[in-house]
Amino acid sequence: MKNFIEVTELKKVFGNGEDEVHAFGPATININSGEFVSVLGPSGCGKSTLMLMVAGLLDSTSGKVEFENKLVNGPKTDIGIMFQDNTLVPWRTVKGNIELQLELRGLNLKDYQEQINNILKSVNLEDFADRFPNELSGGMQQRAAFCQAMIHDPKIILLDEPLGKLDAMTREKIRADFQKLWMVKKPTVIFVTHSIEEAVQLSNRVILITPRPGIIDREIKIDLPYPRDLKVKRSPKFTEYVNSIQEVFHKYGVI
Amino acid sequence: MKKFIKWIFSGWMLILFFVGFFLFWEYSIPLFDIPRYILPSPSEIVSKGSADLDKLVYYTGVTALETVLGYIIALILGLGFGIAISFSSILRRTLYPFFVSIEMTPKIAFAPLFISWFGFGLMPKVIIVVLVCFFPIVLNAILAFNSLSNELTLFYQSTGASRLKTFFSIRLPAALPQCFVGFKYAAINATVGATIAEFIGSDKGLGFYISIVTGNMRPDLAFAGIFFLTVLGLTVFGFVTMMEKILIPWHISMKRINK
Ligand SMILES: Nc1ncnc2c1ncn2[C@@H]1O[C@H](COP(=O)(O)OP(=O)(O)O)[C@@H](O)[C@H]1O
Ligand SMILES: [Mg+2]
Repeated sequence: MKNFIEVTELKKVFGNGEDEVHAFGPATININSGEFVSVLGPSGCGKSTLMLMVAGLLDSTSGKVEFENKLVNGPKTDIGIMFQDNTLVPWRTVKGNIELQLELRGLNLKDYQEQINNILKSVNLEDFADRFPNELSGGMQQRAAFCQAMIHDPKIILLDEPLGKLDAMTREKIRADFQKLWMVKKPTVIFVTHSIEEAVQLSNRVILITPRPGIIDREIKIDLPYPRDLKVKRSPKFTEYVNSIQEVFHKYGVI
Repeated sequence: MKKFIKWIFSGWMLILFFVGFFLFWEYSIPLFDIPRYILPSPSEIVSKGSADLDKLVYYTGVTALETVLGYIIALILGLGFGIAISFSSILRRTLYPFFVSIEMTPKIAFAPLFISWFGFGLMPKVIIVVLVCFFPIVLNAILAFNSLSNELTLFYQSTGASRLKTFFSIRLPAALPQCFVGFKYAAINATVGATIAEFIGSDKGLGFYISIVTGNMRPDLAFAGIFFLTVLGLTVFGFVTMMEKILIPWHISMKRINK
């Protein structure tokens, strides 16, 4: 049986001649429907490049990406996507920003009012619907960006270090919120991060990428029960996973 | 409340400064024995100027028409070309470097030529105003429409939205703050352009008035003309600033918070 997402021998080289930068691959990755997969690697190893190619937002040099046997050869529009720098526009309120996603997709705003309220509630932003992004803290902005990315209820979610710029405490909190949401809807998630703890806490499987040009060093299945709260995080098994991953990156001289 | 008091206070400081400035001017003329054909006192400017009020008001209207007409034409052309250049790689490689190189020449140097080609009427002045306003507008517009963040570009691409929808929902609003930098710059240039054009060749307008009365050794009237020009310039600039506040209030408040 074919996998839900199949990335086959995918490779990216930027530029040509002297300026050539081999950014990623070749790498082969298979992802099941409803799976939460983290892509973990040092900065500059090609994680963002990989994600953009999966989303069809960047052409690959060779190899292919398929979703349910359908080849990706242009921007995929049935996904939710989040970046390190959020995509909130400063001229719209939080609610307006969520509606921007719907408007760009030509969806009827009226049909979504309840969903908007619900998703804002789920991230504790219901009182900030009419605020502008610059009136929110960094953490609140990322929550709002999360609502914007998810309002059309995508079955596939691509996250490129969405918590990268937040402080440790806020990260912890949003991580927990996000895990809760994932457990309810079970979308397929590809989560790019360079935080080992984050990857272990959230994922079914962690894919370890070597320094540039990134290829897959190994995949580690995380066999821990959800929800992975503080108790799970303090368990010896959790620490074991974190340690074993640390060792791999230590070997590469990354940490 | 504190802010309000601060504002009133800073307002008073400004008024006090101007009052002091004009008092100093008024009384230093007899004090230092400055001849009135060199520098008249403010009170004399007001009294002599008000005798010429009809003419001054009419000429202000003439200069205002040249200024506003030229500004609006430059706005339409500048935005139009700016957007076209931003979205067409061919234009970006041809027209854009052409504009950048012309930007280096002082546009006002063309003024005598235009006067000789098109005569003393309204048209050459408008053309000169267009010329001095067009470049700041077009160059800032190009910068504005090319500086959309990478994330926003990827975001709208992932929604599959049409180019037109993307333009009005994202590209245009995102570009407006930088566009207004050009609009404001051009608003300052506009009255300068009209005045210099009138200096060079005209039979009405504030620039014409100032050059004639200066030739007649009447600096009092020249200052009256300058006063009206200042009012005109401030009005044009104030209007553009007001439009900025109306069209992109989010940008203004963002600047305030970031301070
Ligand atoms: N558009 C581009 N042009 C040239 N090089 C690029 C481009 N995008 C990324 N790179 C290079 O590719 C490598 C991988 O980048 P990236 O995928 O952003 O890494 P990561 O997300 O893992 O930090 C880096 O060396 C980067 O400089
Ligand atoms: Mg990255």
